[in-house]
Formats: sequence, structure tokens, C-alpha cells
Amino acid sequence: MSRMDIKKISLPLIFIIIALFPPFFLSQYWLHVMIISLFYVMMASSWNLIAGFTGQVSFAHAAFSGIGAYASGMLAVNLGVPPWLGILIGTGVAALLGLGLGYLCIRMGGIYLSLTTLGFSEILRIIITNEDKWTRGTMGLQIPGFFSEYSKANYYYLFLVVTIFLLIVIYWIIHSEMGLTFRAVLNDELAASSSGINTIRVRILAFTISSAMAGLAGGLYGHYLMLITPDIPSLGQMFLVLAMAVIGGMGSFIGPIIGSFVLEILSEYIRIYGEYHVLLFGLVALAMARFAPEGLMGIVGKKWRKEWVH
Amino acid sequence: MYLTNGIVIGVINAISAIGVSLIVGIMRVVNFAHGELYIFAGYFSYHLSTRLGVPPLLAMFLSILFIFLIGIGMERTLIRPTYGDEMYSLIITFVLSIVLQNAALLIFGPYPNKPPNLVSGATNIFGLYHYGNQRLLSFFISIGILLFIFYLIKMTWFGKSIRAVSQDREMSSLVGVDHLRVNMLSFGLGAALAGGAGVIIAPIFPVTPTGSTAVSLTAFVVVVLGGMGSLKGCVVGGLMLGIIENLGAAYVSTMYRHIFGFVILILILVFRPWGLYGQKTQ
Amino acid sequence: MGALIEGKGLTKSFGGLTAVKEVDFHLDKGEIIGLIGPNGAGKTTLFNLVSGVFHPDSGKLYFNSKDITILKPFEICRLGIARTFQIVRPFLKMSCFENTLVGIIGRNDKNGGKEERKDEVRTLLKFVGLGNREQTLAKDLTLIEKKRLEMARALATKPKVLLLDEVLAGLNPSEILQALELIEVIRTKLEMTIFWIEHVMGAIMKASDRIIVLDQGEKIKEGKPEEIVYDPRVIEAYLGESDA
Repeated sequence: MSRMDIKKISLPLIFIIIALFPPFFLSQYWLHVMIISLFYVMMASSWNLIAGFTGQVSFAHAAFSGIGAYASGMLAVNLGVPPWLGILIGTGVAALLGLGLGYLCIRMGGIYLSLTTLGFSEILRIIITNEDKWTRGTMGLQIPGFFSEYSKANYYYLFLVVTIFLLIVIYWIIHSEMGLTFRAVLNDELAASSSGINTIRVRILAFTISSAMAGLAGGLYGHYLMLITPDIPSLGQMFLVLAMAVIGGMGSFIGPIIGSFVLEILSEYIRIYGEYHVLLFGLVALAMARFAPEGLMGIVGKKWRKEWVH
Repeated sequence: MYLTNGIVIGVINAISAIGVSLIVGIMRVVNFAHGELYIFAGYFSYHLSTRLGVPPLLAMFLSILFIFLIGIGMERTLIRPTYGDEMYSLIITFVLSIVLQNAALLIFGPYPNKPPNLVSGATNIFGLYHYGNQRLLSFFISIGILLFIFYLIKMTWFGKSIRAVSQDREMSSLVGVDHLRVNMLSFGLGAALAGGAGVIIAPIFPVTPTGSTAVSLTAFVVVVLGGMGSLKGCVVGGLMLGIIENLGAAYVSTMYRHIFGFVILILILVFRPWGLYGQKTQ
Repeated sequence: MGALIEGKGLTKSFGGLTAVKEVDFHLDKGEIIGLIGPNGAGKTTLFNLVSGVFHPDSGKLYFNSKDITILKPFEICRLGIARTFQIVRPFLKMSCFENTLVGIIGRNDKNGGKEERKDEVRTLLKFVGLGNREQTLAKDLTLIEKKRLEMARALATKPKVLLLDEVLAGLNPSEILQALELIEVIRTKLEMTIFWIEHVMGAIMKASDRIIVLDQGEKIKEGKPEEIVYDPRVIEAYLGESDA
């Protein structure tokens, strides 16, 4: 291993080791916040894959997490499918729907994708809310936890492992040739196409992968909360994910990670005063998108970032 | 009667949709905050007329004016710098819609607000059934607005500038059209149309902070159905959607009325993505 | 006849405007064909038709006798037609190395491992004169460097035909000479067939085997540079432009 490689691995390794300790000293409440943050890290990072790296703004991301949660949850409740299998199936369903949705509207361009995903998200939420015979609607569906014995620490480590796994996959994608084509399509789709890149296939691929990841995150989330509601596939959730990616820094690898932790922790503090965090985050996100499109990562420093993304 | 409802709603849809279509056609920006502007107009109309005692018709005009100004403000501060970057304008208008939705919740409260009717009573339609006068009035006002818009776009210089900019931005600026100003005014006009649709509907269906999403979605479906950038498409699409949704809600299921819209959207995208009157682009 | 690229009766309209009208043309292997005409004559539109960005309303396009009329840009690129753009379009947020690599990836050939591709990128960058700018982001390059990069990326796709859209625009006289040298080297060393649009008359007249003249979407003249220069219709087309 060259010196560059050692340097590259050591810093994340340090973070991972640090991340192993929280269950030992954090309260149950803050451990819960960490788990939620990890969920958002998965969501924001996978959304960043399509929005930040291929320029496709999808509003169906929260919906796909909802698909993962409800698919897995309903399978568990109605057919006794064990959660780990349910989550895998949920991920698969999300991937398939992502493929279908992507194929349908990516051919027509960015605006159509955004509109269709918006509609898809709302329709899904309406269906889940109304079909309460199956989903218990807004009252929420109780589903079994991932572990038969409830332990926040266990959930924390579960989420940590899956999050790290997803981040490794995303990192690999970004730095592979696939990632290069993603970024080419993001930079200039026409030039990419004229250079031989099948841009439609690239975008559909990114969309499918990203949706599958959202499904996975949603499945885990559902089996942690053990009560799933139509709030999961809502635009409100979608907004939070988007805000975390935008404020953290779209188009960078670490941006969404930072954005997720920062916003989630902040929202806990703000909640003391009232449900203002959405409004506040929205205003900050607007300001960021307008003045600092590279988010917190951009502000923290380009030099630092260059070493990491490359 | 459902058919009539459909037609009335359809015409209002059309106005709403034109508001979106205008902005998309000129600026290649989808205004996700469309629904929020719509309900804000409804709220303004309500507060002006009910709380401040302004005569309802004047309240409607003033509300539309406010929204027009807000639209221009939005364009100048938020949208203008994002030209050429489709992605950021989508993100910004989406975030804006969430911000406005939450602001509406905080400012106006979660309860439905309904501005007073301009007229009351019902009229006998063709001797078949009675139909609310307010709805009839809304219908005629909407037709009036649509005709006005058509006149504006086809006949006036402003309208011609809009069409020129939407067809070829570079060429039109060479010819001397101030395309930045056209953008700003178009955005304002688009917002005003959203507001217009909002104040027309508000006396019939009260406004709530969460109703904005459905409004936006309906407008978007109409635009896609009719074809992006086609005014005629918005009218035809709006009518079709209005009728289908109302008939569907009446005969099939009320809870899923918006599903019809979404199904239509999917079908259009699969079979004829450029809509009824849109242009085939690549 | 065996022309490398052949276009027959190509017509393309936008709204009410006919940009290209019944244009026939052909390119033989190894030729340099110049495409000239006043502004708005339809030259870039013709390029866009050849490279698949637009599809013609009517007419046909052939590459090596294969019908490519409705192929997508990436398919046409993979067949061997590469292009540069009038307003230069490198991938701004990516380095020169990455830009060129995209061209290689776009080629979609399965041979060549990572190391070989790295070497190929380096060779190409050196060839266009960007050997020492490997890690520089495209947005930090000067205009002529951006044009060199676009050339490298296009060459990375191993084209047989190169479509150059006003490469010399915006360059000062010494840069123009450098550009012409590079084009000459590409033509001879890589046996490239070149189709280029240019307004710098001296250059295009000197370097081209044949010239095609478009005006208002129609081909008004085709022939050797010497024949074109004195043709009254050509002169009128240009003079007409300077009147307006």
C-alpha cells in the first residue's frame, strides 16, 4: 500500500473506531438521535448520488424508503417473514420500482423526472393512508423489531454497519469509471453523449441504485421504530433529506454525512421551542442553494475537500 | 352535475396550469411553489375581506396583486441567479414551497379559511338541476381571465416578447428584447395566475396549508398532459383533467380523485410524453 | 460511391424556421471539407444532424453506407464520428485527465486495463499539448487550453471523422497557427477525415480540399477553394449579411 492509500484509509478508520463508542456513554435518548442520524446519512448520501452526482432531482426518495418500510413491515405482520429477509425483499421492491419509474421519465428530461417523482411520492402516501385495512393508515402499523430483544445499542451497531456498507459502496461508485460517467453526465450531458456515453442508461442506473438504497434504509428504519406511518414516505421527510444534502454539500461525499448529523441534532434542540425546524432548515437551505451551492463542505475549505474526494 | 363541476374546475385548472406553463416555457423552471402561491392568495383574500372588511371583489384583486409582486420578488432574489442550472431552480422552488407551507401553517393556522361568496343562491341549469351561483360566477370569471391571457399573449407586444424568448432566447435578445425583464414579468404573471386561480376557488373550496401540494400536482399534470409550453394544451388538459377527476370521484371513489391525475400522467409519459399539443424535442 | 459520410436531402425545421433545407453532401476518406456560410446559414444545425443531436425531418444520413439517420449521439460517437462544439464544452468540474478518460470510456471497448488507459490518456494529453496540465480542472484552463482538451477528449473516442465547429473562434493569430498545426498533425498522423465549420476564411480556404457553402439552410455552392472564392453567389451571400 502506498503512503497515499494509508492516509486515505486511516482517517475514516479513526472515525469508525470513534463511532464504536457512543453506546457506552450516551443516554438512550441521544443514542436514539444517533440512530436516526445514521438513517438520514443513508438517505441523504444515496439521494446525493443522483442529485449531486448526476444532477437528477428526485422527490421520490422518501417514498422509496416508505416502500422498504411498508413492504418489509407488512410481510412481517401478515406472513411472518423475518425482518432481515423482509428488508432485503423491500430493497428489491424499491429497486424494481426505481427502475420502472426511472425508465419511464428519465428519457424525457430533468423536469419530467422531478414532476413524476413528486406525483409518485404523493400518490404513494395517499394510497398508504387510505388503504388502512392493510396499512392501518395514519394510526400506524406496528411491526416487529429487527432484534427479538430490544436494545438500542444493538440497533445502533446495526445501523452503523449498514451505513458504513452503503457509504463504501457509494464511495466505490463515485471513484470508479461508473462514477466518472455519472459526473460527466452531471457536468454536461450533451458533451457526455457526444463522447460516447449512454447518458440515459447512466441516469437510470444511478436512479435504480439510489432507490434501492433508500428502500434498504427505510426497511431498517421501520423495524427500528416498530411503528410505521405514512409520514415516512411524505414530502416533509423528503424535504429533510434534501435539506441535509444541500446544506451539507451536494456533490461531495462527506457533505450529506455532515448535513445529516448537523440537522438531526439541531432539530432536537429546536424542537424544545416548537416545530420550527422545518421552516428554519428551509430558509438555511435556500440561502445555501443561492449563495453557497457547495454547502458546508464548500465553506469549510476547498483544499481539505480536494484531498478527500480525490 | 358532476360534469358541470368538472368543467368549472377544469377551467380553473387551466388558469392554474397556464401559470406553471408560462414559467416552464420561458425559463425552463418548474415553480414548485405554485400551490403555495395559490393558497396564499386565498388566504389574503380571506383576511382582507373578512378581517379587514375590504369588499370581496377588491380583496380578490389586491390578493392577486400581492402574489404578482411576491412572484417578481421570488424571481429576482432566488431564481435569477440559477439560470442555466435546472437542478438548482428545482431545488430552490421545492424548498420554497415547503418553507411557504410551514409559514402558512404558522401564520394562518391549520384551519380551513373561506372568503365570502360574491354571489349566493343557485340557478336552474337547463331545467335539469340547480347549480351554485358562486360556481357559475367563478366559471365566467375564469373564462374571462383565460380570454384576457390569450389576448395578452397573442396580441400585445409583451406577449410577443414572451413567445420570442421561449422559442429562442439568444435570438430574441439580439432583436432587442430585454429577456431578463421578460423573465421577471413572466414569473410574476405565472404567480399571479396561480393567485388568480386561488382566489377564484377559495369561496368554493376553503384553503388549507396542506392543500397546496395537490394544487401544484394538478397543475403539473395538466401542463404535461397539454404539452409544455402550449396554452391551448393547458385549457384542453385542464378541462379533461377536471372532468375526469370529478367523474371519477363521483362514480368510483372520492378518496382517490388525485390518483386519476397521476395515472393520466403516467400514461402520457409512456405513450405521448410531449403531451397533446407539445413539441417533440430531444 | 463509398463515401465515408453521406447526407441526402437533409431538412430540419424549428417551429416556423427551416434551418437546413434539402442539403446533400458527402465526405470521402482522408478529405478535409470546409463548411462555410453567413451566420444563421444552418452550419451548426447540419453538424447537429450528423452527430445525432437532432434528427432530420426528412432526408438520410449514411456512415460507411450504414444508415445513421436516427441514431443517438453516443451511438454515432461509438461508430467513429466525434465532434467539438462552437462554444467549447469540456467537463468543467473534472480534471484534464478525467475529461480525456471519459472519451476512452465512451468508446466502450472491453480491452485495455486501468494502466493502459492511464497511458493512453497521458499520450493524448501530451499530443494536444496539455501534458503538464493533467490534474488541472477544466474550468481553470485558458480558452485555447480548453479547446485542446476538447480535442483530446474527442480523439480519445478513436474517431474516423472529426467534426470541428469553429475551433479557431476567439483565438489570437499565434494561437490560430498552433491550432492549425495540431489539426494538420491529426489529419496526417491519425489519418483523420475532417469536416469543419470556420469563419476564419484564410485558414479554411488554405487547408481544405473542398468547400461547401450554405446560405439560409441551402447548399448554394460546392467546390475547390479557388472556385468558391470568386463565385458571385457566395460573395453575395456574405455581402448580404454585412448589409443587415
